[in-house]
Amino acid sequence: MSLFNAIDLSATGLAAQRARVEFLTQNIANAETTRTPEGGPYRRRSVIFESRSFATSRFQNTLNQVNVLNNGWFSAPFPGTSELQGVRVSGVVVDPSEPERRYMPEHPDADELGYVEFPPFSPVRDMVDLTASVRSYQANLSAIEAARDMINSTLELARG
Amino acid sequence: MLGPQTHLTARYMDLLSLTQSVTASNIANADTPGYRTLTFDFQSEFRRALEDPKGQAGESAAVFEAGLSAVKNDGNDVILERELRLMSESAIRFRHAALMLRGGIRGVRMAIQEGRGAIG
Repeated sequence: MSLFNAIDLSATGLAAQRARVEFLTQNIANAETTRTPEGGPYRRRSVIFESRSFATSRFQNTLNQVNVLNNGWFSAPFPGTSELQGVRVSGVVVDPSEPERRYMPEHPDADELGYVEFPPFSPVRDMVDLTASVRSYQANLSAIEAARDMINSTLELARG
Repeated sequence: MLGPQTHLTARYMDLLSLTQSVTASNIANADTPGYRTLTFDFQSEFRRALEDPKGQAGESAAVFEAGLSAVKNDGNDVILERELRLMSESAIRFRHAALMLRGGIRGVRMAIQEGRGAIG
């Protein structure tokens, strides 16, 4: 069961990193957005990660119960791996930093002085974040592949 | 039936699975603020299995924080390279153990089949 837990764990990592990439691309796509439904220029959003105790799956719980009922038919490996932590997106924060003001009097969103408020866009920051996020995603994917290979080599045992 | 090493090999593979889960946890939390690298004592867990080879499989092992010294600004101390190295190492070890176990099973199977030939 432990190896399937490992896959589930890495899947939480994949989901979290994908959410992060989604918001990063949203930030990049809206680098020049001056008008939003809530008014004013677009504001950068970033995700907050939180580690969450990784509960055993329902299937595993059932197996453990069956095991207890039958006085330990089979060994249920590592029932207490609740120390292990999955990850999840606990929230999205909106960047409170001041918008960038550019003098563009002909722009429809210009104020009376002719200034337009743009999102405080930092391409370097977003690209670095994006690269880091993709790297973490790949690391999670490698972890899944490794666990899958291990499960496969266990299955090979049955073949003799 | 397969000899006393089978229990040990099974325990060894159990512990490698746990390494894999712990590493998966660390990799998943590589960007989580405040997360600390988890680990467990593979050697002493396995030594316990060596001292008492019966009935060890399935026993839980204690997982604790590794206490790595290089903590980043956000309180996270996961080193992705360390985790990836551990992960490939445990995958190779696991494959090796599975191959050895497979050899044992194959031997028993061969013995059964040869025996059948002698009787028939």
